[in-house]
Amino acid sequence: MTKGVLLFASNNPQVDYIKQAIYCAKRIKQFLNLPVAIATPNGDYLTNQFPFYKSYIDKIINIEATNSNQVRRFRDGVYSEKRLEWNNLSRADCYELTPFDQTIVMDTDYLICNSHLKTVFNTKEHIMLYKDYIDVGYNRTNTGLDMVSDKSIPMYWATVFYFDKSPMSQMFFNLVKHIKENWNFYRLTYQISQGNYRNDFAFSIAIHIINGFEKREWPKTLPGKMYLTVDYDVLYEAYDNTFKFLIDNTMSGNYSAASIKDCNIHIMNKFSLGRHIDREFENE
Amino acid sequence: MDKRLEKALEFSKYMTTLNNQRRLLHEKYLENTVHYINGGKFSVTKELMNFVNLLVQHKQETAILLDDNNTPIEIEELETFLTELMDIYFNNTNDYYNSYDDIKTKRSVERLLDV
Repeated sequence: MTKGVLLFASNNPQVDYIKQAIYCAKRIKQFLNLPVAIATPNGDYLTNQFPFYKSYIDKIINIEATNSNQVRRFRDGVYSEKRLEWNNLSRADCYELTPFDQTIVMDTDYLICNSHLKTVFNTKEHIMLYKDYIDVGYNRTNTGLDMVSDKSIPMYWATVFYFDKSPMSQMFFNLVKHIKENWNFYRLTYQISQGNYRNDFAFSIAIHIINGFEKREWPKTLPGKMYLTVDYDVLYEAYDNTFKFLIDNTMSGNYSAASIKDCNIHIMNKFSLGRHIDREFENE
Repeated sequence: MDKRLEKALEFSKYMTTLNNQRRLLHEKYLENTVHYINGGKFSVTKELMNFVNLLVQHKQETAILLDDNNTPIEIEELETFLTELMDIYFNNTNDYYNSYDDIKTKRSVERLLDV
């Protein structure tokens, strides 16, 4: 049985997801020691701009560039925001794209800092992901990250998930594709006000449907925990597996400080993550 | 602003960071105090260690235990399993104690972040 990690990276004019993916792969190698494949429409940029990528990425899967026609807000702390193209439509194809029998898929802004996820390969489950998360922010209740919408269903995270090559997994991803193709119907059914297609929401809806429209214990949660910071927060320093943040607890510019060490973390402020990666890559 | 109020507000920032860092340390402790075995996930608690110890005392060598996800998992060598549970528990509890103790001595927000 082959095991590995699949990343998706599709650049927009301001966010270099390829750079993020290489850094993400570097940490995967360091803590999980697994082969890494990247699915991207920017393969030439990857090989030309980052010649050292071969140390961290084992396989490039070229996918077609798609125009998602989606625009979303990317914040760099509370005082800076940009509206940029958002290409996130390939995730549902991971079952067909993966070169591995057992695959972990993760966002490129998910930083691995320990080896907990490696134990997932011993499971008998076909699909695993996180529903719960640890917010690095203090007593922050207004992030809107717990439910798909106020009165609908709990949110499961497509940020990092595991699947195998089983009929169950295939059915799940086929259903996600169906939801993607009929997004307007499903988003209205589940009272999602925003028009953009979002993988977390599509996964949550698929789970709700497969569970017979009830809250059940499937799918099981991944090993370890997912820590996160939102895009109002700013990563300002990182060393020795420690990450220090300015945290906007009220999401109104009232910053305090927080740090974590040896914890896997989803950093939603892509710009401050990019600045950190630039410093890390200076010696590559 | 009244100096007394200014000082109290400044200290409240420190308290927010202190409490948050304590919470994050505790979350990390809970995350690490887990034993993954045979595809199962067991949070290492005093209750679990006691129960496994009871089985060992009754000369039981193997058992089926329900993990955190209520999945039945076969444990083939209970005595080894108990040793592993105790190692995980004490290593992580000691680490947590040291970090918790360390954080008490930090008197500035900046230094709190180094724990």
